[in-house]
Amino acid sequence: MLNFNRPKTKLMNRIKIYSIFILALFIGSCDLEPVPTSATTVDNFFSDDDEITAGIINIYNALQGSNPLEGDGGFNNPFLGIQIEYQMAETLSDNSRTKSGSPQGFDFETFTVTPETAAVITYYRSMYRIIFTANVVLENLANASSENVNRFEAEARFLRAYAYFNLVRFYGDVPLIDRVIGPEETEIAFTRVDEGQIYDLIVDDLQFAVASDLDNGFRTRASKAAAQTFLAKVYMTLGINYLEAQRLLEDVIDSGDYSLEANFLDIFYREANDETIFAIGFDDTVVDDSQGFSAEFLDAVGRGTGSNYATDELVAAFEAYGGNRGQYSYRPDPGNPGKWQNVKFLPIIDENVGVTSAPANPRIAGNDWIVTRYADVLLLHVESIMAGGLSTSAPAAIESFQMVRDRAGLTDPVTEITQEDLLNERRVELAFENHRFVDLKRFGVAQEVLSAFSAANNHDFQAFELLLPIPAAEIAISQGLLTQNPGY
Amino acid sequence: MILKKKLILVAVLMISIQLVAQDFAVTGTVTGEDNLPIPGVNVVVLNTTRGTQTDFDGNYSINVSDSEVLQFSYLGYGTQTVIVSGQTTINIILQEDTSELDEVVVIGYGTQRKSLLTGAISKVVNEDLDQIAVSRVDEALIGQVSGVNIRNSEGEAGSAPTIRIRGVGSITSNNGPLVVVDGAVVGSDFLTNIDMNNVESFEVLKDAASAAIFGSRGSNGVIQITTKQGKEGKARFTYNTFTGFKEGRRSDAYDIDFEGELQREIDITGGLSLGSQMRQLINAKNDWQGIILNGGAIQSHSLGVRGGTKKTKYNVNLSYVSDDGVLLTDSFERYQAQAKIDTEVTDRFKIGASFTPSFSKRRRFSATGLYDVIRQPSWVPARLDETNINFVNRIRDGGRYADAQVGDYVLQRMFDDWAFPDGATSIFDANGNFLGVPVGSGTDVSNTSNINPLAKLLERERFEDRHKFFGRLYADYKFTDDLSFRSSFTTTYENRINTDYQGINESRNGAAGANSSYDTRSRWALISDNILSFNKTFGKHEINAIAGISLEHRFFEESQIETSGFTSDLIPNVGGGSIINQGTAFDYENFLNAFLGRIIYSYDNKYLFNASIRRDGSSIFGRDVKYGNFPAVSAGWVVSNEEFLENADWLNQLKFRVSYGITGTNDLDGDFLTENYPSLALLQPSSAVVDGTITNAFDPVNIPNVLLQWERSEEINPGVDFGFFNNALSGSFDYYKRTSDELLLDNPVAGTTGFTSALVNLGTVENEGFEVELRGRFVNTEKFRWGATLIGSHNENTLVDFGDSNGQVVNTNDGSRLVEWINLEGQPISSFYGYVFDREIAFEDLRDPFRQIGAKTQFVYAKDLNGDGLIDEDDKTILGDPYPDLIWSFGNDLKFGNLDFSFLFQGSHGAKTYNLGDQYVFDFFNSNTVDFNPATAPDQEFLVQRIFTSQLVQNAGYLALRTVSLGYNFPSKVTEQLNLTSLRLYATGQNLLFITADDYTGWNPEHVRELTPLTFGYQRGGTAIQRTITLGLNVEF
Repeated sequence: MLNFNRPKTKLMNRIKIYSIFILALFIGSCDLEPVPTSATTVDNFFSDDDEITAGIINIYNALQGSNPLEGDGGFNNPFLGIQIEYQMAETLSDNSRTKSGSPQGFDFETFTVTPETAAVITYYRSMYRIIFTANVVLENLANASSENVNRFEAEARFLRAYAYFNLVRFYGDVPLIDRVIGPEETEIAFTRVDEGQIYDLIVDDLQFAVASDLDNGFRTRASKAAAQTFLAKVYMTLGINYLEAQRLLEDVIDSGDYSLEANFLDIFYREANDETIFAIGFDDTVVDDSQGFSAEFLDAVGRGTGSNYATDELVAAFEAYGGNRGQYSYRPDPGNPGKWQNVKFLPIIDENVGVTSAPANPRIAGNDWIVTRYADVLLLHVESIMAGGLSTSAPAAIESFQMVRDRAGLTDPVTEITQEDLLNERRVELAFENHRFVDLKRFGVAQEVLSAFSAANNHDFQAFELLLPIPAAEIAISQGLLTQNPGY
Repeated sequence: MILKKKLILVAVLMISIQLVAQDFAVTGTVTGEDNLPIPGVNVVVLNTTRGTQTDFDGNYSINVSDSEVLQFSYLGYGTQTVIVSGQTTINIILQEDTSELDEVVVIGYGTQRKSLLTGAISKVVNEDLDQIAVSRVDEALIGQVSGVNIRNSEGEAGSAPTIRIRGVGSITSNNGPLVVVDGAVVGSDFLTNIDMNNVESFEVLKDAASAAIFGSRGSNGVIQITTKQGKEGKARFTYNTFTGFKEGRRSDAYDIDFEGELQREIDITGGLSLGSQMRQLINAKNDWQGIILNGGAIQSHSLGVRGGTKKTKYNVNLSYVSDDGVLLTDSFERYQAQAKIDTEVTDRFKIGASFTPSFSKRRRFSATGLYDVIRQPSWVPARLDETNINFVNRIRDGGRYADAQVGDYVLQRMFDDWAFPDGATSIFDANGNFLGVPVGSGTDVSNTSNINPLAKLLERERFEDRHKFFGRLYADYKFTDDLSFRSSFTTTYENRINTDYQGINESRNGAAGANSSYDTRSRWALISDNILSFNKTFGKHEINAIAGISLEHRFFEESQIETSGFTSDLIPNVGGGSIINQGTAFDYENFLNAFLGRIIYSYDNKYLFNASIRRDGSSIFGRDVKYGNFPAVSAGWVVSNEEFLENADWLNQLKFRVSYGITGTNDLDGDFLTENYPSLALLQPSSAVVDGTITNAFDPVNIPNVLLQWERSEEINPGVDFGFFNNALSGSFDYYKRTSDELLLDNPVAGTTGFTSALVNLGTVENEGFEVELRGRFVNTEKFRWGATLIGSHNENTLVDFGDSNGQVVNTNDGSRLVEWINLEGQPISSFYGYVFDREIAFEDLRDPFRQIGAKTQFVYAKDLNGDGLIDEDDKTILGDPYPDLIWSFGNDLKFGNLDFSFLFQGSHGAKTYNLGDQYVFDFFNSNTVDFNPATAPDQEFLVQRIFTSQLVQNAGYLALRTVSLGYNFPSKVTEQLNLTSLRLYATGQNLLFITADDYTGWNPEHVRELTPLTFGYQRGGTAIQRTITLGLNVEF
């Protein structure tokens, strides 16, 4: 390009030389404000309904949690969320156990959960991640069209309430975050507020969602029925508004949008079926949208060596109350006779159970997680009529109860339902669906049931363990603002 | 000196009384001590205008008269004078000027004579570093420079060591120095692809005043590498090669004596449990350490040619290194070429170019760490054979091992679950028949469900390929004798491709666990430096000044794909899978604009003064904080040049100096996007499943910080340089105190924000220390030379201010394998934190003492430090820190005629490490059950898990014989016969002696698993220290 031959004149020489330097100066033209090409920015986003919808779908991305497939035990991923919820919701109860001490649940099985227990940390953070992604949407609704703005707000608030409801039931008092906060706002970030205030926000959000333009068009997105079911369950958890709860549940029942699946197995293997009120969707073709808990429930297929196995007590409960549901809920572990594996989410083929298809990689599974389904609604309906009492013979309650039992082949007419009947029914109908621990607490029998279970299994359950510890990693950075639950 | 002056005086006198004498020609050859001719030597007749230069072969010819004085001078050699008295042939051997005081040192955007330096800069000339058998240049620098701590933090072939200059000042994970090659700032990763044979020298800028000329990236010090350039003279070929054999240093502590453990069980219980009998039956007597630390060879070949004319000089070099590594499956190979050419187009205009393409290929050791493979007890066979196959339980795990065949990898669990008759105490009956019956649940032998380590290694192929290119062009124009302008343009390009295939036999999950990934990452940098220099000497005043602009533009691009769903190993790349697990792609760019100026002034070589300023603007930071200023001043007083010391013959040099400067760090810690756009609230694509359809979304990735700024370091550095007794003893002493504030930190934040960390400027860290370098040249004759060097550095790291985060306890967040640190003001940045071990559980209180071979209990008693009768968080305390108090080296060089011998001892003291390897190897993670008997064990409230106690904190100090070397230079008689100019044969050994502290159990006390300062210094096995014995050959022709 440039000719370095000896120049004819001194002037020519200089011009050539200077031109090189000038070229050099301009090569690195200096723009100090580059625009990222692999990401967009919040300031440039949320400008129309499509982008706000992308923000809402992202809340579901947070609901999915991360497949613990990769990383250092999977626990360096702070957002495992629903993928490890079984540990606190089932293994911490009398329903499930690890096969042989798998780290994925061992602390919960033996009632030795500590503030350092990985699931305690990741679950707490996951729920606040959901709350954060919902708050992001709620703060960026300015550009939503008038016909959609109500739905958008309702959907974000429903999901925020879902996360808070989990937090408050597992951890008790927690910080209340109802907007996007910065790391410098430590007072808000770390100060635990009374459960009552959290429930106020949950009720407020769910009431908004119930009254909103939401319909029942989705199974893995928010719906009016899901909001109604949740609000009813919140009321009953608080032990208030049973009549209102009953009305909400009857709205769901009367909507005609839901019905029990004839075949119990189809609830779990036919996705977005008529029975599903609200589920978290997964897909086995993309790791980011897949789940790993199905593999965790098998022996050494996931990270651990078998989690969420049925306890002997649960197997006994199935034998007593399960009707034909047992065969679709657990199977004998083929490698470990005497131990029973949960089969509601099998990522492998098992013709005996009736599971005939499976993902290519069991650790990248696509079975949806059903948060609540019509059978739950029917049993909650019974519970609302019972209204904290010990039994009911109300026909409406009997009708709902009988529907659930009929499907299980338990067609003997029921004339009276006691609290114990209802709890046993919920146990076998909804086993491994993350209801047991919170059901025991809602029914007010957790301490009694778990103490007996613990004693029978040489565990060391104590009453304070009805609340999980606040994660040590959070307390450590809180400068004394974040307090621990008693007993830990 | 004095003699020389006298000679000249005599000569001048003689000339003055001499009338015009008859001219005659003198011819001769000028050579160096190595008998190699030196071209371009100035030969002048003093007090005349006559002069010439030696030609390519070192020959000259000049007309002289009797009694005239000939002076021979050449840069880097001592000047010699000869009085002519009739000789017609005068051959001269020039002595290399070994006086370091007149060395020229690269100081960043310029050079300076060492005697005039006012900052702390160490220079290491590559005299025999290229004979150390390592595949990376940085490894060869261990023990060479005070204040520089190079840790072999990974023992895998081709892996980068951890380099820290004067301690840890930054809180970001990159505390490594800035790497500058021939003046251009390159990524630290370029050290992987530099060939030591091409290196002329290293200059390490240690104090802030020296590093401030590199401004916002100078905080962690600067390592400058100058590559060799052409030399005037005939083409000279060099061929350097070495071949070495390496072995990994074993951990004796991790050799668990299986037979001894069995004997212990017999001694205590009077017999062996059925499980122990089963293990004894299968016992393969495998030396797993020996199998994995399989040793390897390292070899290097380098062929170069350099030469040139007075105007044009060139250096061309080709090299190849191959390193098998000491581990099974690890290896490293590198090909590199370099071409460098410089030419004077006119007297005032000079241009030059250099190009360095290279390619390296590395096979990774694919287990997560040595601990992971060594935790297999010695009884476990590697593969099934005719005998042990009889004990495979073909029905357990749903018949998973039903098809087990001879030659298959052994999985411990294959041998689990045998039933024996009730009450049986032996696995054999009286006739010696095996009684076991395979069942679903019976006597177990396994201690892990993990796959056989051989399968982990042999069935996984993990490669790292790097293509790199370094290219540089410059043009230099002298406007006047004093004023010149240099513009240089550098481009660096790097493409790194990682491929990974985990085969269908690699994991316990079989084909379901097989996956493959392909990750390609490219970086380019365009750097334009434009420097105006002014150098003038008038009278006793000497001024060197520069002003310039440096512009950098860096791009980055990465894409990655991972697949699974393999059914066979036939196609071990991403194409063989049926599911795309993951596919990502992203890119970014950043810019740096710098304006810099410096003035160096000296008066009479006595009073020295240096001031510089650099103003950096970076695209990374928010709109209002893009620019930062980095000033420096320093001064020196050369006392030895004062008149009152002129007669002190014993003193060659005494210089006091002091420097002060401010430097910065802009290396953020985050993912690639947040590192480059931390002031923006970024959204990245995400997705969720809506009623069966994967639906796109956008996910916030960071907490933005518009005020994020450079980390700032301020350092003051007084020092003294000295040389006594004709420089028989010389050295330097430096004290420094560096205060770094506005630290850039990916700080943990409340989970309630929706994130776990955010980038902030926070806190202050101080590093205070001193450095000593002592060099002795005790004997310096032609037949025998002896020199020694002692280097010592002490650094103390203190976290001075950590704002809201003071006292935060951080951990590895790794489930049941937790290491905790505390970041507490008044202590080092990070200290290990946990319970103090008190005592073991008494044997009689153990529930199942022979649960496993060599296992330790999970629980131990902790000390109740606050005496409140229970063990809780308040009983945790600081258990040590990972920063050494003292690092030192002691080297000796001896030369007897043609034979030379050298050795270098090096050591580090005071650092601790948290060795999680113990937990794996001694298997005290017992998830199945508590291992004490709750009915009998006393004081159960004092029991804590062993991994949280001081039991895992070990002394990481060591003493090593880093290198020992013996060489022989063949005499010219031999080389001439072979038509060579020189021939050298040598043998070196590395780490032939490596002594660790008594309580250290691992393979490498220098290993660190994570580099972020807040969680620094823990080990999960690491890889082994390498011992190497090498034979090498240097040939020149």
